[in-house]
Amino acid sequence: MRKGVLEFCILSIVRQGEVYPSDLVEKMKVANLHILEGTLYPLLTRLKNAGVLTYRWVESNSGPPRKYFVMTDQGLEFYKELEATWQELANAVATLTKNENKETITTNPTTTSLSSGDSNE
Amino acid sequence: MNDLKNIIMKKVININFQGRVIPIEESAFELLKAYTDSLRRCFAQEEGKDEIINDIESRIAELFGEVLKKGSVCITDDQVNAIIDNMGRPEDLEQGTTTAGTANNSGQQTSGGSGNFTNRGQLFRDENDKILGGVCSGIANYFKIDPSIVRVAFVLATIGWGSGTLLYIVLWAILPGSKAKPGTRTKRLFRNPDEKVVAGVASGIASYFDIAVWIPRLIFALPLITGLGASLINTVFNVWYWSDEPVSRIVFSSFGGTLLIIYLVLWAIIPEAKSASEKLEMRGEKVDLNSIKTTIQEDLHSFAARAEKWGKEVNEKAQDFGKDVSQTVKSSAQSATSVVTPVAKSGISRIGTAIGILFKAFFMFIFGVVALVLLITLVAILFAGAAVFPLKNFLLEGFDQQFLGWVFLLLFFGTPIIALVTSLIRRMMGVKPGNKYIGYTFAGMWVLGLISGLLLVSSIKKDFSVRVREKQENTLTQPSSGKIFVKLKEANIVRHFGPGINMTGLVRLFKDSIQISNIDLRIEKSPDSLYHLNSTRISSGKDDQKAGANLSAMQFGFQQQDSVLILDRGIILPPGSKFRNQQMILTLQVPLGQKVMIDRAVKNKFFYLNLSNINFAEVDEVDDWELEESNESWRSGVEYVMTESGLKKTGVTVEEKNWDDNGENNEYNSPDSRKSRRQLERELERKNRELEELKKGKDNLEETKKVNIESFNNSKRTTSFFARMTAAWNQSVQIPRDKVTTAAMLFYHKMM
Repeated sequence: MRKGVLEFCILSIVRQGEVYPSDLVEKMKVANLHILEGTLYPLLTRLKNAGVLTYRWVESNSGPPRKYFVMTDQGLEFYKELEATWQELANAVATLTKNENKETITTNPTTTSLSSGDSNE
Repeated sequence: MNDLKNIIMKKVININFQGRVIPIEESAFELLKAYTDSLRRCFAQEEGKDEIINDIESRIAELFGEVLKKGSVCITDDQVNAIIDNMGRPEDLEQGTTTAGTANNSGQQTSGGSGNFTNRGQLFRDENDKILGGVCSGIANYFKIDPSIVRVAFVLATIGWGSGTLLYIVLWAILPGSKAKPGTRTKRLFRNPDEKVVAGVASGIASYFDIAVWIPRLIFALPLITGLGASLINTVFNVWYWSDEPVSRIVFSSFGGTLLIIYLVLWAIIPEAKSASEKLEMRGEKVDLNSIKTTIQEDLHSFAARAEKWGKEVNEKAQDFGKDVSQTVKSSAQSATSVVTPVAKSGISRIGTAIGILFKAFFMFIFGVVALVLLITLVAILFAGAAVFPLKNFLLEGFDQQFLGWVFLLLFFGTPIIALVTSLIRRMMGVKPGNKYIGYTFAGMWVLGLISGLLLVSSIKKDFSVRVREKQENTLTQPSSGKIFVKLKEANIVRHFGPGINMTGLVRLFKDSIQISNIDLRIEKSPDSLYHLNSTRISSGKDDQKAGANLSAMQFGFQQQDSVLILDRGIILPPGSKFRNQQMILTLQVPLGQKVMIDRAVKNKFFYLNLSNINFAEVDEVDDWELEESNESWRSGVEYVMTESGLKKTGVTVEEKNWDDNGENNEYNSPDSRKSRRQLERELERKNRELEELKKGKDNLEETKKVNIESFNNSKRTTSFFARMTAAWNQSVQIPRDKVTTAAMLFYHKMM
């Protein structure tokens, strides 16, 4: 479940400009979202293979060049879709929790929709 | 193993990691390697796994770079662990991906996290763990057992009734391929490379079933040990009877053979536990970094030896990564192909390794057989040496030679056996090859044995340095029949089984005498009209005097009973005499026109071995022809007549197979044969009477009667012999008188 949200978060960071994975982790850490780099790399590769992201090599002052990730146009569209879905979801959750319904489990179907949206790309 | 942590000194190696040169402690490197291996397994079925791992590795390299920049001399275990914690352990990552994967059940599969097959619903081929088509591992997955078991079953089915291959191909074609997630099985059968004697099969099995290592080893080694023991016993008790080859009996005896085949099959099929995580899987422990770490620390002591190998591998891998990177740079589209090719490659390489293993097994097998043969030979020689113990007194003289002989025997042959057995036991017990001094000691002892052997040889050589001979001429009383028949004296001691030692018939040791059969019997033309028997005795010695004494100690006698010449069975030496290559040449001189026939037993008994050709003695060069090997101018059981040009066959022969060899088997006359003999005798008498009647009209009947009937010497008789006799008789009616007498005489000899 977390994955769909994770992707959304990652994409939102990448959207702000090209980013180096470890910086990405740092930024998420600041937002109190802890993620392992080992989890991040496969995710990024998957997104890249899906055409959502791309990368370019940036010369570093020490050692070999680094991979910086950038969002593609396609990715931007996907992101917008995701954002919309998220908004809906958030609203839904907000309304549901306000109604004091304790069925927090209802998050499950939303995740499904999120993920399928992901893979449809 | 924990005290290894206290080791202060640690070896630091330089590795080329993702384009950076990183000084790293060996143990830390091992950790790192285990980690990357575990990642590789984790992402095994991930699309673009190379890229992911590459990314992670370059990130790690970068972090290493930062650590080094901060002033560290090298990367330590703790630093590696910290970085790994930061990156995430494989099981953490797996969770991150698989949860998503399971959540995804309804939709299409995402590229990752597909491997959730705790439900056994579908049978498929496992393309991640395959040797050929992944059929076996697929089946194993379906039944949740170890793929090795299924593979063994398939191989046995193929060997047993040939259907395994067909079934495999059919399944290969039918079953859909699928990529199973590795690491779902907690315990797998691996070959254990750390505790191996041959290939680590036994220790791997031990780990799998959680039993002591020696149990499977004993099971595999048992037929070998029992076979060896049996052959040893056999060797000790029948030193000279090498009826079957013991080696083949050990190796191919049904039980041992089956186990051997099973071992070889297991060797080819079970993968070797190479990486730390595989070793953990082998033991059924949870594969996480902590356990990997402990495994690695357990392995630490053996690292020094492997460091170079690892280093090389890392270099190669780094180069591979470099290539991969450049590929990725070229175009991301290529990444798809780069995923496909490694899969294909890995398939080919697995077949390659399987073939390689088979070859290795084959050569190990050959090597093992050779080693075994060597061991058995050595043991056999040692025991044979003990068995010919009485003979040594016959050859060796004085304390020096005896001592040297013992030292030679024990050290030269005993040391290798002890060394081999020791090393075998040490390997089986898992004792690490300790100090080299044991080896040096063994080598030294062996060399000592060799030296004493050489000294012994040169010392013995001296005892053979002088060679003398003595010729004696005897004129025989002339046989009235104009023919002489040479046979051997009957053995007064009849021995079937007993402690008497028979060295290929050359030397016989009795309590009161020694008998040597090194006698050559030659036939030549007599210078006059008389039969002569000349004997030449030859012997070696340390000096002339000793050689002369040896010569005069040789006794050889013969008796003559009209036309029958009875020779002694061998040269008789008084007890306590030494073997100094005593030999004798008997020359039977046959006058012109006279006949001679030699009993088959003579040929069988006399064993002329002219050692003087390979001897170290200086031979009197007087008449060397005498020492030359006789070129077999005659055959036993054939009658010859002496002509101007030499011996000539008269055309009369004796059936060889029924000829009594040495008179030692006489006791075996069964009542049957006795009965038939009586019949034959009656038959012979009747024939004789007929013969006489027939010849009445002819002259010279007397000659027939003169034949020595008293020299009857029983022998086995057959009816075919009888038939032959009649045939010869019928023949004799037509042929001239001379021949008739010969044939008649022959009958009697045959009857003997």
